[in-house]
Amino acid sequence: MDPLRSYLGRLLLEEITPVVMVLTTPLAEAACKKSGLSFVDMLSPFSLFKKIDVPVRTASEVPYRLQMFKIRMVYASDVRKEDYEVADEKIKPVVSEADEKALPDLLSGPPQLEDVLGKPEAELCPLWIKKFNRELMRTLSFSEHETFDHPVACLLVVSSMDKEPISKFVDLFNTNQLPSLLNEGIMDPQILKHYLVLHDQQEGPQDIAVNVLAEMRSTLGSNDCKLLCINSSTEADGSNADNSWLPYKALGLNNHEGTCFLSMDDLNEVLQHLVYIMCVPFPLRFAGGTNAKEGKLCCSVIFLALDHYSSVLPLLIKDFMQDFASNHIIPYMEQKIRVLNQQVATTRKGFRNQIKNLWYTFTSIESQIRVLGDFAFMLRDYELALSNYRLLATDYKLDKAWKRFAGVQEMSGLCYSMLDQSRKDAEYCMENAFSTYLRIGSSGQRSATRCGLWWAEMLKTRGQYREASSVYFRISNEEPSLHSAVLLEQAASCYLLSSPPMLRKYGFHLILAGNSYYMSDQKKHAVRTYRNALFVYKQNPWSYINDHVHFNVGRWYGVLGILDVAIKHLLEVIACSHQSLSTQNMFLNDFFHYVQSMGKKFDVHKLQLPVFNMSSLRVVHEDHRTYASDADVDVSESTWQELEEELIPSSSVVRTNWLDTQPKSSLRKFKDSSVCVAGEAVKVNVELKNPLQIPVDVSGISLICQLSTNLDALSSDVSGLTLDGGKDQVNIEPSVSIFETNADNFIVSQLDIILRGGESKRVQLDVTPKVEGVLKLVGIRWTLSNSVVGYQYFEFDAQKKNKKGKKGRRRPFNNNLVVIKGLPKLSGSIEHMPTKAFAGDLQLLKLNLRNHSEFAVKGIKMKISNPRFLIPGDSSDIGLEFSHCLKKQKQSVVSSKSMKENFKGLLFVFPQDIEIQAGATLSWPIWFHAATPGNVSLYISLYYEMENSSDIKYRTLRMHYSVEVLPSLDISFAISMSSSRLQEYIVRMDVVNKTPSESFVLHQLSCVGSKWAISALTSCSSISSVETVSANQAVSCFFKIKDFEADSCKEAGSGSYRSDIALHPGTSGDVFDVARAPLADFHFQERYRQGKLAKGPCSLLDFVLISKAAGNSSKPSPDLQLLSHHTCHCSARNQSPVWWLMEGPRTITHDFSKSCCEVSIQLVIHNSAEHRSSVRVATFDAMPEKSQTVHPHDSTSVQGGWYDVSLENDIKTISSAKSTHHEKQYSKSISPYVWCSLSSAQIDLQPDSCSRVPLKVCIFAPGTYNFSNYELQWKVHPSKRAQVNEDVNGPSGGGPGHPFYVTVLQSV
Amino acid sequence: MASTACFVIVSKNDIPIYEAEVGSAPKKEDLSYHHQFILHAALDVVQDLAWTTNAMFLKSVDRFNDLVVSVYVSMTHTRFMLLHDSRSEDGIKSFFQEVHELYIKIFLNPLYLPGSRIASSHFDTKVRALARKYL
Repeated sequence: MDPLRSYLGRLLLEEITPVVMVLTTPLAEAACKKSGLSFVDMLSPFSLFKKIDVPVRTASEVPYRLQMFKIRMVYASDVRKEDYEVADEKIKPVVSEADEKALPDLLSGPPQLEDVLGKPEAELCPLWIKKFNRELMRTLSFSEHETFDHPVACLLVVSSMDKEPISKFVDLFNTNQLPSLLNEGIMDPQILKHYLVLHDQQEGPQDIAVNVLAEMRSTLGSNDCKLLCINSSTEADGSNADNSWLPYKALGLNNHEGTCFLSMDDLNEVLQHLVYIMCVPFPLRFAGGTNAKEGKLCCSVIFLALDHYSSVLPLLIKDFMQDFASNHIIPYMEQKIRVLNQQVATTRKGFRNQIKNLWYTFTSIESQIRVLGDFAFMLRDYELALSNYRLLATDYKLDKAWKRFAGVQEMSGLCYSMLDQSRKDAEYCMENAFSTYLRIGSSGQRSATRCGLWWAEMLKTRGQYREASSVYFRISNEEPSLHSAVLLEQAASCYLLSSPPMLRKYGFHLILAGNSYYMSDQKKHAVRTYRNALFVYKQNPWSYINDHVHFNVGRWYGVLGILDVAIKHLLEVIACSHQSLSTQNMFLNDFFHYVQSMGKKFDVHKLQLPVFNMSSLRVVHEDHRTYASDADVDVSESTWQELEEELIPSSSVVRTNWLDTQPKSSLRKFKDSSVCVAGEAVKVNVELKNPLQIPVDVSGISLICQLSTNLDALSSDVSGLTLDGGKDQVNIEPSVSIFETNADNFIVSQLDIILRGGESKRVQLDVTPKVEGVLKLVGIRWTLSNSVVGYQYFEFDAQKKNKKGKKGRRRPFNNNLVVIKGLPKLSGSIEHMPTKAFAGDLQLLKLNLRNHSEFAVKGIKMKISNPRFLIPGDSSDIGLEFSHCLKKQKQSVVSSKSMKENFKGLLFVFPQDIEIQAGATLSWPIWFHAATPGNVSLYISLYYEMENSSDIKYRTLRMHYSVEVLPSLDISFAISMSSSRLQEYIVRMDVVNKTPSESFVLHQLSCVGSKWAISALTSCSSISSVETVSANQAVSCFFKIKDFEADSCKEAGSGSYRSDIALHPGTSGDVFDVARAPLADFHFQERYRQGKLAKGPCSLLDFVLISKAAGNSSKPSPDLQLLSHHTCHCSARNQSPVWWLMEGPRTITHDFSKSCCEVSIQLVIHNSAEHRSSVRVATFDAMPEKSQTVHPHDSTSVQGGWYDVSLENDIKTISSAKSTHHEKQYSKSISPYVWCSLSSAQIDLQPDSCSRVPLKVCIFAPGTYNFSNYELQWKVHPSKRAQVNEDVNGPSGGGPGHPFYVTVLQSV
Repeated sequence: MASTACFVIVSKNDIPIYEAEVGSAPKKEDLSYHHQFILHAALDVVQDLAWTTNAMFLKSVDRFNDLVVSVYVSMTHTRFMLLHDSRSEDGIKSFFQEVHELYIKIFLNPLYLPGSRIASSHFDTKVRALARKYL
């Protein structure tokens, strides 16, 4: 393999080359200084021979030809090992120079993936990095364990102006002045010597020099003496000299290879010619610019000039160097190789070096082998070199001279690599060398680095980039931060070059490199590396990585003074919710610091602080629908629509035919776009969240809007606007500044808030259009901490929304609103609407409607969703004092009827003559009754019409209230039928106070309807003890009720009975009228509701209990809290559908001496079932055992019909068909009385009707008789239809007669 | 128990869906980004390695100084990655296997969207308990 083809080969050819030690006299040096160069610098450009084409024969007999050859010219004073610190200082400028060039790059955008992947290797690993690598290796020059830096030859230079030049030559090579390495015996002082006389033509004629040369040749040998004439230019004076060398310096000639734009070959050409112009008197040399670009231009000019002027001096130097290399150095090396080879062969063959060498001098056999190997290596006889190195390796290993061993291993690795034989061996050697260097500690560290660099180059040559990068990474650990940074960067680029490219590794190593750069104060490099890594971490969900990269890039840009880019990067991290408080603080502080350094406010699109939750965005605009408060908007539209069905004119939803899906609306011309009214605020609700734990000051939150007054033009393409408007917005992202508020057309509200850490707030932003047109809501803007203006545009993706189709019911969000002419608007509220109330609470409230506009409104209608809770009152109620107006009055009020008509079907029409004038307020009474416990939503929709006709004929005002109703009194009734009297009932009322602290005063209990009369039980006429029900207390009261309409009760007389009973003493005349407007209406509603829940088939009556909140004694209660509890559809317990009662006189006086007594009694049978029923009554004469309830012990002992009657029979409840109180009677006794009219009867009873069966009894002796000797069978016929079906029979039953005691006395 | 152990579950889209510092060393903020970097970079290695073997447990795939990255790849190419400085390979294997079971349970949850972040506190507690047990 041609070593020149690989970078490693070229590197080796240039770095491991013979060293020529240069010794000059001060005068010779001064002659060179005239042109601004040292002697070495002058010769160096000519020390590289591209095509030297010299035949070489080393140990083997076969000669080969060397093509490229280089010699290193080094001053004797430099032939020494440098301190690491000093050497490292030399490297620093290499890095920092490169960062000057990096600056313009930093201003451009960061590279993207495609850019980076497409880059050639040379660009990834720029020239300065290669230079850095070389410099790093050179810090190891003249190390003691290697010999390839040992001088091969010595060039002694004397000026022709020197006195006694011959003795000067001798003095120069005085051992005292030679480098210590030579004196200490590490290097061989017996080297090739070459003598040169330098003649400055300005100093005198060339003859002097020629004489000197002749003298030298005679004394020092003819071959080794040369003459070089310089400074042929007559014009070259001191002042111009510096200028003329500027291009030379700018090209970086001091460093042998130069800047990026010239290849090695070009450079040498250029250099040679540049040297030429400094030597010739030619004005062109002033054309040389001071920078590289002009220098190149200059060069091309010089090439032209070359045609006209013979290049005297460069050719002279070139010839001299060529001669020196090919005729002296190479033959000398050949010869030395042969000698050493001979020597080694004999020594090694004779005996194995048994003396352990602690100190290797040049005379020791190991050093000689090493020199042999290195010389062979330099002359590219790698086989020979390798065999010697291997020989050495075993020796050094035995000697445990690890550093030397490692050095030899390193060289053998390189040999293997150059021979391209065994990759495995090469790798093994390098690995071995590397680890051995590391093992020996700090002294081997840099050597390890150099070894690593070779190794990595070797791997790169073979395309093993991954391995190379890990080598770079390993050596980076051994180096100070600056070096490690450059090495890490190389590791990163290797990852990128590996196949497939390992981008994440690339990014990571760049970040590591950046950190190292930053630590060694190379900020521009740090930024550059981070920036190059950015694309790897673009859109990265790894939060910490993202924050670290952006924060550091931002911060460093800030330090460099590139503030806009700094802020751009810092913006990425300020919304870091996952970081700790201190980190968030740090991020934010840095951000604001740079923002303030900018010195101006600036706009940031999509600023992440605070976060606007765009999905929470709601636009509230009022067209014909207006809302009383903002909370009402959240009620779903369907709820309102349902409520307003009868309210709004049906014309607006009429469809011409059933195929026409679009309802014909008066707003048709605006198509689908929303409508808002000029002068009325369009509200936008949006939620914003502070993701940080730090409070954030957000000020001036406002909407960005556009209003175009050209309605006609826009209304046609409103839909077009909505469709593409959103997309354009996203793509173009116009600066926020173009949307400056136009105060003439609309006003936007400004909102300032401070968001605490982690807080979310919902804000409402307003825009009030002032003129007609099309209002476009564009976005939101806000100012963060008075320094950064953030803005965000609303994004509307109409197509996406359509595709989803999930949120069908949701009002589509449209950012275009058609502004129409100003309309009247009512605002309304219910005054003192309670948010909490006890169940049963009854209040008179006021509905206030205010007209803000200049026009009157009329035709007001109202619909209430839940009439159980709210019922509009009468206009007359307004002036009345609450609770007084409910009191019973003499005259019957008819208005309740009219009210019911008005309020039919939940719709309430205000009187036609009511108009609300401009600026006027209408108050209307409205009754509130907390019907049931629980959370109740009340919806009220108010409809009104405008006087001035416009697009919108009517509007609705929507109000929504939610009331929490707490349980208060729990009331239940138990009704039992009185057994003694038909149509009389005993009522037990159980009142439980369920509140924890309130107590209530029971005021009044009313039966609804005129049919019923209620009275206290006579036994407990005073119930004052139960007037107050305290918290958690339960009270039971007993009442008696009577059915007025029942025939049997007629005689009771209605005067003394009433349907109300005052429970509170002293208030008997102060009862409330449950038959009047609000109570009756609410009762009607309750009855309707509770009727749905009632289970039983038959219901008797409804009760209304009115109570008052007792209130605390401390708190005077001017507005009395009144509670009304309605219990409807109460019915008696255990009631059979048919019941009966015997009626007749209880005491009869009769003269039994004349005749037997005939008693007429009636059996009253009542059918309370809903269906017709048939009843059969049968009387028995001879079988008294069935129902006689007399005690057996006095049956015969007492004369006549006297019996002891126990009292309990009287209060015995109605016997059911099942009752089993049969007692064994004396069976064969004769009945004391005889039924005398009929023995059996069959009656058909209509539903809810009474029938009377007349009965007669004949008694023969005075006494008390129980006329219960009869039996009753009944059967209900469910309905006609059911009757047909034989299987289904209605309930049936029967029973013995109830006891009916009649006392018959003997008349006197 | 390992002094440093950073456990991450990476979805097949290379998004970390669960992260936990389970080491006994006190948590330092500047280390968490460091760990993320190492684990993120190790994905490059996993990417190659995962297709070369049938085993789910890939053992240690990458190292950064004295920190080792061990990886376990599930069938859906969800990667369980552990950055650790301990040496017990068996423990790590058991840890991965049990976490895999937990992960499958999460996966079976019909409300869990595959590839989304695992927010279950139960899962977190269990993983930490497993880390105490095995690492």
